[in-house]
Amino acid sequence: MNLKEFKDKLFALAKKNGFEAQVEFSEKMEFMVSYANDDIDQYKDASNSRVTIKILKDGKIGKSFSERFDDPEALFNEALSNWKITDTEDENFFYDGKGKYLEMKTYDGNFEKTPVKEKLDFVKKLYNSAKCDERIVTVPNAVFQNLKISKSISNTLGLDISSTMDGGFSYAISISKDDNTHSGFWFEIGKRFEDLSPEQIGKKACKEALSLLGAKPVKSGKYRVIIRNTAFEELLGLLKSMISAENVQKNISPLKGKINEKIGNTILNIKDLPYVEGSINNRPFDDEGVPTKETVIIENGVLKSYLYDLKTAKKDNVESTGNSLNGSIEPINLVIESGNYSFNELVNKLDNGIIIISIDGMHSGANPVSGNFSLGARGYKVENGEIVHAVEQITISGNFIDLLNKIESVGNDSKDFGGVITPSILISELDIAGE
Amino acid sequence: MLSKDLIKDIIGTVLKYGGDFAEVFIENKYENRIELADGFIQKANTNNISGIGIRGFLGNKAIYAYTNIFERDNLLSVAKRVGEALSETKVSNLKLDFDDKKIKNRHLIHFYPMEIDKTEKAKIMKTAYHAAKNFSNLIKQVLVWYWEYDQEILVANSEGTWAEDRRVKTRLMINTVAEHNGNMERGFYGPGAGMGFEFFNTIDVEEAAKRAARIAVRMVDAEPAPAGKMPVVISNEFGGVIFHEAVGHALEATSVAKGASVFAGKLGQKVAAECVSAVDDATIPNGWGSANVDDEGTPTRRNLLIDKGILVGYLIDKLGARRMNMESTGSARRQDYTFAPTSRMSNTFILPGKYYPEEIIAATEYGLYAKTMGGGSVMPGTGEFNFAVMEAYLIENGKITKPVKGATLIGKGYEIIQKIDMVGNDIARGQGVCGSISGAVPADVGQPTIRVSEILVGGRNK
Repeated sequence: MNLKEFKDKLFALAKKNGFEAQVEFSEKMEFMVSYANDDIDQYKDASNSRVTIKILKDGKIGKSFSERFDDPEALFNEALSNWKITDTEDENFFYDGKGKYLEMKTYDGNFEKTPVKEKLDFVKKLYNSAKCDERIVTVPNAVFQNLKISKSISNTLGLDISSTMDGGFSYAISISKDDNTHSGFWFEIGKRFEDLSPEQIGKKACKEALSLLGAKPVKSGKYRVIIRNTAFEELLGLLKSMISAENVQKNISPLKGKINEKIGNTILNIKDLPYVEGSINNRPFDDEGVPTKETVIIENGVLKSYLYDLKTAKKDNVESTGNSLNGSIEPINLVIESGNYSFNELVNKLDNGIIIISIDGMHSGANPVSGNFSLGARGYKVENGEIVHAVEQITISGNFIDLLNKIESVGNDSKDFGGVITPSILISELDIAGE
Repeated sequence: MLSKDLIKDIIGTVLKYGGDFAEVFIENKYENRIELADGFIQKANTNNISGIGIRGFLGNKAIYAYTNIFERDNLLSVAKRVGEALSETKVSNLKLDFDDKKIKNRHLIHFYPMEIDKTEKAKIMKTAYHAAKNFSNLIKQVLVWYWEYDQEILVANSEGTWAEDRRVKTRLMINTVAEHNGNMERGFYGPGAGMGFEFFNTIDVEEAAKRAARIAVRMVDAEPAPAGKMPVVISNEFGGVIFHEAVGHALEATSVAKGASVFAGKLGQKVAAECVSAVDDATIPNGWGSANVDDEGTPTRRNLLIDKGILVGYLIDKLGARRMNMESTGSARRQDYTFAPTSRMSNTFILPGKYYPEEIIAATEYGLYAKTMGGGSVMPGTGEFNFAVMEAYLIENGKITKPVKGATLIGKGYEIIQKIDMVGNDIARGQGVCGSISGAVPADVGQPTIRVSEILVGGRNK
């Protein structure tokens, strides 16, 4: 059964039963190759597709998806049984597609055109660069991956849109050894194959691993801290959860009731952008087919807006911000505005303190309901503006909102992590546990 | 599922173009996920995942492809692509007779969840909601998630393996939020099993919900945990996540075969305190992480990993077996057909020792009692782990005193298992979902109450 037949049958079935219906068809292609121990470790070249249907009546939605396209009736019946048990008092909607969509190119095609042989050469080079020094004992992962996702959404209200996006990324892990082993990781994203340099990514992973040689804990206490972009990106996972209007309305966000209140230092500016040059996350519409747009989240330290989908927007009497993604509300490109200081200048300003380069345990040690976190971390100790030794086996703990208030300076070293673009920041005080 | 002839043709096509081993994995999985918040069912989704993975090996090299277009032409062209990527042919004149002796099903299912009306499931979720909500007026929100799936798989390979399995899993997850004086804290409890709907005859839903509520209520007014190195007593059941993360992942062939594990090359050596023995056992009837065969068609078994402190086994899949020159331990797992399988844990736990948990507490002058663990993670290459403790108490003068919150435990796995100095007799298992390179898979963790003589607790400094 082709997609059009499938859709027509499903829409007819829905109408006959008094429902509006929406069909999303998506196709995913992925290519991945990883290199380890001087050989190909994993190689994947694959594709699949799925159809997701939603039916709507009385403000309630029933949902079902399938990777088989032979039976619209079975899919409708599953959605119907889900609709029947749904008893939320919140009102759900479909979008009619009448809004204005931003013009943007989300598909380049460059990754698909690049021959497999070049991708194999890439990971080989990446692997060798990640092994740049004899103190590197192993490179367990040197990975290249590219993806292409096509999506079309149409519904009985007249919505009918589609788009294709693509992109690629690469990372390497190097492990160095002295009395202990230390792990170095580096990751880059690109819109085109030539955006990614295997030599640079590999070398950076290697340098990170070497930089941790001789690492030791510091004494427990309160320290001035630089949270490098690579670590701050992860901590921002807490903010993502807190600004979801769904979490705010469910009473599980500490930012509830804080619109127009100052929640961070005045130098802090955060936006969600539907398009950022070079980002692989750009999109003209969200998963409900709503046009995406720029949303100011924090301006001069003041909370300006949450992110919304159709249902939560109606509840707060605002418009959807077009952030319905992957079944929840998420930013598209969460951009922390760059400041004036290079990383080295931040280190000078830090004077005495700790640089955190990576953190562990976000999914368990960080609590998006309270904003409290307690996480494993590693980095460097700084004395008189100079890095004196590497630090590991420490934890950092605090509260995320408290931390936004303690931001002293923002770096100009913004890096794209796929969905989050952030510089490094300098914090006046953070709790560290060590020796 | 596909005909035997077509499967033979797919395997034959891979080997015709390249490789010395070919494998087909076919999956059909139905899944229901239902979400409740504010006392109402907010979302209910049904997913049907259906596809085929085709894999080829040449020596230590592995190529994986998947598709969900089951037409013969497409399948053979995917198979050809896999073979071509391996490029060098090592098998000529493949004669394939599948060994399709039936594997005994150890995991009987009474009520297939797909056959139970969804209103029954909603009823259980609401029972849990009310029990948690009514536990205390400090409970401000209760989120209940229901998850079930019914997965049928077929694995066939060029060695003649023909294995079918059906895995049914059911789980209820209760999240609570307590609020007091502007503080908010969470509680969670998520029991599950490799069972059908009869699972709800084996647990007390109200008690499970109250357990989640108790954690949030106890923690909401708790003081921050102290920071620094101290003895930590870790309670049984989900406390076993510490072994899972700190040690289990580093015993998987995925990292051992690359030499990227601190336990590589240590078989037969003493790696843990003598009071520590641990197993991974996918054969436990109706266990959350159990299966009759692994995702490469190898029958599962009970694998002893550490015996009285001596490292005696790893967790090995077929590719790892080639690379390590050992045999598969039936430990290949994957979330679904879009992931190539790799070595993973199933139900992993520390075996019981001789102490009553009360004795362990009484023997501890000062330290932390980690009553309920949150999740954790590890870097297998360095052994660095971290765990969040969801519910913790101080131990002072051999007695549990006040609740403390925000404790994170960090350390290195190979150090921590040497520092376990007391093992209790109260073994129990808890359910989790383990994420790694082959996706998210159900896994049981478990242990009796144990004491670690020293761990770094990340809390607040006074």
